[in-house]
Amino acid sequence: MQGAMLELQGLTRRFGATAAVDGVSLAVPAGQMLGIIGRSGAGKSTLLRLVNRLLEPSAGRILAAGRDVTALRGRALRDWRRDCAMVFQQFNLVQRLDVLTNVLLGRLAHQHGLRRALVLLAGSFGAGERAMALAALERFGLLEVALQRAETLSGGQQQRVALCRALLQQPRIILADEPIASLDPANARTVMDALRQVNREDGLTVLVNLHHLDTAREYCDRILAMQAGRVVFDGPPAALTAERIAAIYGIPEADFAAEAEAAAARAAVA
Amino acid sequence: MSAADIARWRARMPAAFAAPPRTRLIRGLAAAGVLLWLAWALVQFGFSPQRLWNGLAGLFAILRLMLPPSPGEQWPEILQGLAESVAMAFLGTLAAALIALPLGFLGARNVMTVTLLRFSLRRLFDGFRGIDQLIWALAYVRAVGLGPLAGVLAIATADVAVLAKLYAEAIEAVERRQVEGVTAAGGGAPERLRFGVLPQVLPVIVAQALYFFESNTRSAAILGVVGAGGIGLQIAERIRVRAWDEVAFIILLMVATVAAIDWLSARLRRRLIGA
Repeated sequence: MQGAMLELQGLTRRFGATAAVDGVSLAVPAGQMLGIIGRSGAGKSTLLRLVNRLLEPSAGRILAAGRDVTALRGRALRDWRRDCAMVFQQFNLVQRLDVLTNVLLGRLAHQHGLRRALVLLAGSFGAGERAMALAALERFGLLEVALQRAETLSGGQQQRVALCRALLQQPRIILADEPIASLDPANARTVMDALRQVNREDGLTVLVNLHHLDTAREYCDRILAMQAGRVVFDGPPAALTAERIAAIYGIPEADFAAEAEAAAARAAVA
Repeated sequence: MSAADIARWRARMPAAFAAPPRTRLIRGLAAAGVLLWLAWALVQFGFSPQRLWNGLAGLFAILRLMLPPSPGEQWPEILQGLAESVAMAFLGTLAAALIALPLGFLGARNVMTVTLLRFSLRRLFDGFRGIDQLIWALAYVRAVGLGPLAGVLAIATADVAVLAKLYAEAIEAVERRQVEGVTAAGGGAPERLRFGVLPQVLPVIVAQALYFFESNTRSAAILGVVGAGGIGLQIAERIRVRAWDEVAFIILLMVATVAAIDWLSARLRRRLIGA
């Protein structure tokens, strides 16, 4: 498929004898919002980390708009990571830096040569970038807290800051790894709305790991279900009925959600 | 983002673009102060690139005399001195850690609730920390005579205050819920300390003591120079007669010893902390 924003070909990652991701092939067209579901240990997180190259694949290829990114190194790897921004379950903000600087970290891969040295030595981001960061913060209702330390914010606010940081990378893809698993329902909604907003308004391709089927059905154009590292369902939300879930996972949908939630809570504590 | 947009944002939130003038003034003054101090010190000490260069030349001459290192005639004496230094560091650190442990508990906010007592104890630690090991060594050499005993006492005295402070801070950082669990099970104050606090801080306490043992092995070499026993005396004597090749031999032995202790204590620490 030529027009795919992201294409995975037989992507595999083994940890010792077990394959966390096992021969996943997938084509994601530009502008799609793809939800990935599965029980804990199904390989959802590993899959996203492989795409961002935080993990190296054991086999298979990753293509971005037809270009092979599986073996990039150095500058090219940094540029690829800039293009596919990551949003984490635990937000991964630098707690002691203020919100504005955290958002400006999204600009790091855009600095080269002397500018990079200046940013590293004195944290002196350009005025244009600061204005960009403020505009992003305003968009998600965070302007008032721009100069506070990240650690003073609630979880929902922190995740929106993380999304602002991702947006400042000016990526083409957003990889969100359980972005709402550590949030209460109200905050989860604002974060999912924000993700949908950047998908619809900015036309970004979004890959999001979720444990709530309802959330996946409500927000995503397409759902991928994983089991033991393999793709066991790939289709529109409407096709993923409760019967289908029970057939795939051997447990009713309610149990699936409860189990996933418990796993996410354990991950949050760890 | 156009220039007009940037200007609008700058007008709306100036603090996001630059620190306020007052802060910048203070930072500028601080930087100027440090630079002035540095310049003054360089002038006062008669620092010049010329002197630095000459010094380097002298150092190079000594380095040449060090090659090849040689054990000399009295190598059993050297080995004995080295063993004495390691023993001094071990005894001194062990004594310091044993004394520092109860003092650490007394200095911790969550154990010693009488603020006045805790506060005075902490200030006492601070006071003792202000006196260097070498000063203690000089004092003990006069008090108990030349030899390793003075060195052990100097190491122990100098480290008690530092270790007690570190231990107190570790004890203050324990997780309260675990202690609460012991209280709820009917434990009194001693049980809380023994079973709630101690298991949490023990790895830190031992790890710190191991660090100090390693560092004290190094400083025990200096103590010998002032007559407090150990390998330092051997070094000082050989420097006096310019037997630089033998000095080099001793230095290599010390490096190997410290590396061995470092390796051993790193393994022990990993054992203790990672379960």
